[in-house]
Amino acid sequence: MSDLTLEQLDQDGAIQEGIADLYGHSRADFLRKAVVGGGVLIAALSGPPRVEAAAASDVRIFQFALNFEYLQATFYTETERLGTIAKMAARKALWARTLGAHERAHVAIIKKVLGPAAGKRPFFNFRGNTETEGRFTRTAVAMEDLTTALLTGLTPKLQDQGLTAAAFSLMTVEARHAAWARHLVGVVPVASAFDEPKSLNEVDRIVASTRFISTLRARTTTTRNPRFTG
Amino acid sequence: MSDDLKAPAEEDGDWEKVGVEALASRSDLLKRAAVAGSAAVAGGLLIAGLPKVAASAPSRAQDVRILNYLLRLEYVMAAFYETAAAEGQLTGEIQQFVSVVGEHEREHVALLQRILGDDANAEPSVAFGDGTSNPTKVAATARMLEETASAAYIGQGANLTKRAMIDAARITSVEARHAAWIADILRGHPAPAAADPAKSPSQVSAALRRAGVSISG
Repeated sequence: MSDLTLEQLDQDGAIQEGIADLYGHSRADFLRKAVVGGGVLIAALSGPPRVEAAAASDVRIFQFALNFEYLQATFYTETERLGTIAKMAARKALWARTLGAHERAHVAIIKKVLGPAAGKRPFFNFRGNTETEGRFTRTAVAMEDLTTALLTGLTPKLQDQGLTAAAFSLMTVEARHAAWARHLVGVVPVASAFDEPKSLNEVDRIVASTRFISTLRARTTTTRNPRFTG
Repeated sequence: MSDDLKAPAEEDGDWEKVGVEALASRSDLLKRAAVAGSAAVAGGLLIAGLPKVAASAPSRAQDVRILNYLLRLEYVMAAFYETAAAEGQLTGEIQQFVSVVGEHEREHVALLQRILGDDANAEPSVAFGDGTSNPTKVAATARMLEETASAAYIGQGANLTKRAMIDAARITSVEARHAAWIADILRGHPAPAAADPAKSPSQVSAALRRAGVSISG
């Protein structure tokens, strides 16, 4: 079973264009061939959108996960665009760029899974946390631990066995991000023998408290600040 | 942590209506599940007795086989870190890693034993060749073990019943954290792919053999 590359996944070129914007075309070419990994995902992603035959609760879980991946991907992309990552030491920049590339790939994966059921990217305001290395790092550590807690909680609630297997392949990646982040900042990467899962509702409350998402719940009117990215 | 084996929380409403029986009527899902599990063909000591896991819907009987397979891996890791701490002449961060992670693996053994109850298999005897003889070898073997364990859990997680999966998921992410930690210590790549690959039991066995780990009993 061969692994999936970003190029196969990103057939409309949306990710590649974004990467080319960020890194120039030679880097984009390198990343295009980057292995997304997870042979399970080939099964999960082939054919029509996976959720067509899936339970409504699976659709809800993936829709929530998509919003969360949008949040993360936008956070890392904005930090890159603002030049915050370029100022980091090499090893730390590798970490920040890897996480950005992965979260963008996760957006693409989940959009493919959801098909027409995928929601649009909300608008975000990271409130200065993409502008300095210190604030970016603190936010990233918290975000990756939260994502790990979310996926350890949500994965056993999925009904479709193929989607469940795919969720395991994503969960471990978020756990790696979290451990890597904690190691970079000098905290023990694994706080306990068992990760503590969080429910969708708990995570929703935490995300709402950050006020990073300005249009998570559809409102009829939105005031957009020019510094919002979306 | 025995109360962690309860059904999904009430507050989650309709999400807890987890029906594995529903899978049986959807043959395409089962075919995909077979790919997802890719655990079908057993072979090698580690997986003796493991069934064609993904070919059938989750059940308690299947949980017992899968959880014993994972327990065996946890026994191997716990034994490795215990031996490495005693013989590896460890200092600094490798020593911290072995101490912290060794304790985690012992806790994983204890939880899986508790879930399995009387069905839990006994600890095998394990030899690590020269894998515990010095800090460099300890680190390299630890990295292989953690990567392998993470991939083994990914390979089996979706084949468990929801009750067992709740705890397996909480262990899976911790094995992945271990893998990232030791990779970063070794200046390897802590998160090499956007989605982690699964390993089948025969791939797990092969990886352990390549690293000089031999298991008997």
